[in-house]
Amino acid sequence: MVVSPDIALQVVIWGLYAGCIYILLATGLNLIFGVMKIVNFAHGELLMLGAFVTFTFFTISGFNPYVLLAASVPILIVLGVTIERLCFRPILGTGKLNEIFISLGLIYIIQNAAAIIWTDEWRIIHSPYESITISVFGVNMPLDYLIIIITTIAILIALYLFLRKTTLGRAMRATSQNRKGAMLMGINVERMDMISFGIGAGLAGAAGTLWAVSGQVFNPYMGSLPAIKAFAIVIIGGLGSIPGAIIGGLIYGIAENFAIFTLGGAWKDAISFLILILVLIVRPTGIFGESSE
Amino acid sequence: MQLAALAAAAVIPFLLGANLYILTVLILMLVFIIYSSAWNFLTYTGQGSLGHAAFFGLGGYGSTLIAVATGLSPYITIFIGAGLPALVGLFIGAICVRLKEWFLAMVTFGFAIIIQTLMVSQFSAWSGGWDGIASPRLLSSSIPNYLLIEYYSILAITVLVIVLFAIILRSRIGLAFAAIRENELEARAAGINPVKYRLFAFMTSAYFAGVAGALEIHHMGYITPEIFGVDISFWPVIYSISGGLGTLAGPIVGTIVITLLWDGLQSLGISYARYIVIGILLVLIIIFLPKGLVSLPGRIREWMEKRAKKA
Repeated sequence: MVVSPDIALQVVIWGLYAGCIYILLATGLNLIFGVMKIVNFAHGELLMLGAFVTFTFFTISGFNPYVLLAASVPILIVLGVTIERLCFRPILGTGKLNEIFISLGLIYIIQNAAAIIWTDEWRIIHSPYESITISVFGVNMPLDYLIIIITTIAILIALYLFLRKTTLGRAMRATSQNRKGAMLMGINVERMDMISFGIGAGLAGAAGTLWAVSGQVFNPYMGSLPAIKAFAIVIIGGLGSIPGAIIGGLIYGIAENFAIFTLGGAWKDAISFLILILVLIVRPTGIFGESSE
Repeated sequence: MQLAALAAAAVIPFLLGANLYILTVLILMLVFIIYSSAWNFLTYTGQGSLGHAAFFGLGGYGSTLIAVATGLSPYITIFIGAGLPALVGLFIGAICVRLKEWFLAMVTFGFAIIIQTLMVSQFSAWSGGWDGIASPRLLSSSIPNYLLIEYYSILAITVLVIVLFAIILRSRIGLAFAAIRENELEARAAGINPVKYRLFAFMTSAYFAGVAGALEIHHMGYITPEIFGVDISFWPVIYSISGGLGTLAGPIVGTIVITLLWDGLQSLGISYARYIVIGILLVLIIIFLPKGLVSLPGRIREWMEKRAKKA
């Protein structure tokens, strides 16, 4: 099948947008993994909460939904810190399976608490820019997609500056490189755990807001599929690597869009698993992953 | 102990009265005991799965399609149909066998959902899509006391499966599992091939999860892709952890206790909140009782002795 350059460019740009939400999720997962060496399987549920927080504030206040990032991110940060403190800290270091299983408990609690608060209906919100399309490099795309891409880039730059330039960020990176060494240098590693989990949850909250704004539907049980895609990205990019998450997310978003374009829409969700399998057969630790722990 | 439990399982329909509701609860309990025991079997090699619903569901579809096509009794097709999840399990196991815990969990977590996606899109011609397909009943409802016969036949299968697991785990294979779980490098040095044993565990686990799924589907008489839901993947995990991982009794105790709690909460009219109760219970058990409910008597005895010493 011959794909003309125009269409290829369109698919790439749409993939860029699709990748953005997953990049935010995957970056959060990797940040948490880097510092705490745990994988939060309930990460998709945090995205779902971000979407519902946005939904609630949007219906109450009618603010521009992009402004509501200022609500969903802080709320999710507080929630993330609480979850880390109550659930993950007591079992840290007791075995990897325990950390996986405790996220299962969290998935149950979060999904159904959300179902009680918001009912299990599918919800949708409409962005004020819904009908506006603009032309970028000769490709027509909704204005919302462009704003989402720019917002994601802004968030990632802010995260980069935080990790590189601030004392706290440096302490977090030190903890993820060598926990014991960091401890010896007087870094409070448990505080770093809390902060990294909080930031990871905040990124998931931002992803949730963008999910809602982009016009995708959500209900309390929708978190698993985006989480699986984020896992696929984490595996492509290597566990614990934030640049890997960004590159993985872009590759993933573009691959997904090419799959929809060439194979049909039904493959949209299955493709994540196929990518995952292919990558894992070739490299069990991910493309950019370290060769051993 | 084992005999007492078996005797209790044999007489319980008579004690509680063999009505439709109680028998249905008991039958589903047995099905899930098989299912969680199969899941738990995997953990003996240090592996875990968050997507066993894939095998549970494929067993149901496999057995149903064979029973419909050949007209054989579901009691036979259950064991043939479970070959489908065993094959898929071999395939997934082959990919997962080199993976560390997190990647394994991620792959299996995604797997059930992907199978569901495939079932409602690519394979909808023979899976019936989201509407599902009718499945032949284990026994025709025209037979008197058919549910009671069903209960005893499933009880027999459950006992056979658990005895089989016990035999495997007491054999050299079980020893090899333990060696791989504790230290893969040393196991390799002792001449044990971890890949071979892990694949065997994956296949066996997938096969019996498929048997359990097929039993449930033939009991219900209907199968839809909802069977691949995250819920169905998580139940055996929850049952096994709350009962006690890596013990034969754990999944049995866990299934019974959690099912009773679950149905008890339902009879109180609690719906969403019972998932939250189960979730909180799971978190509490992992933090405070990491060896599960089967370790509770020992823990209480310890605590009593401590108190006796103090006094």
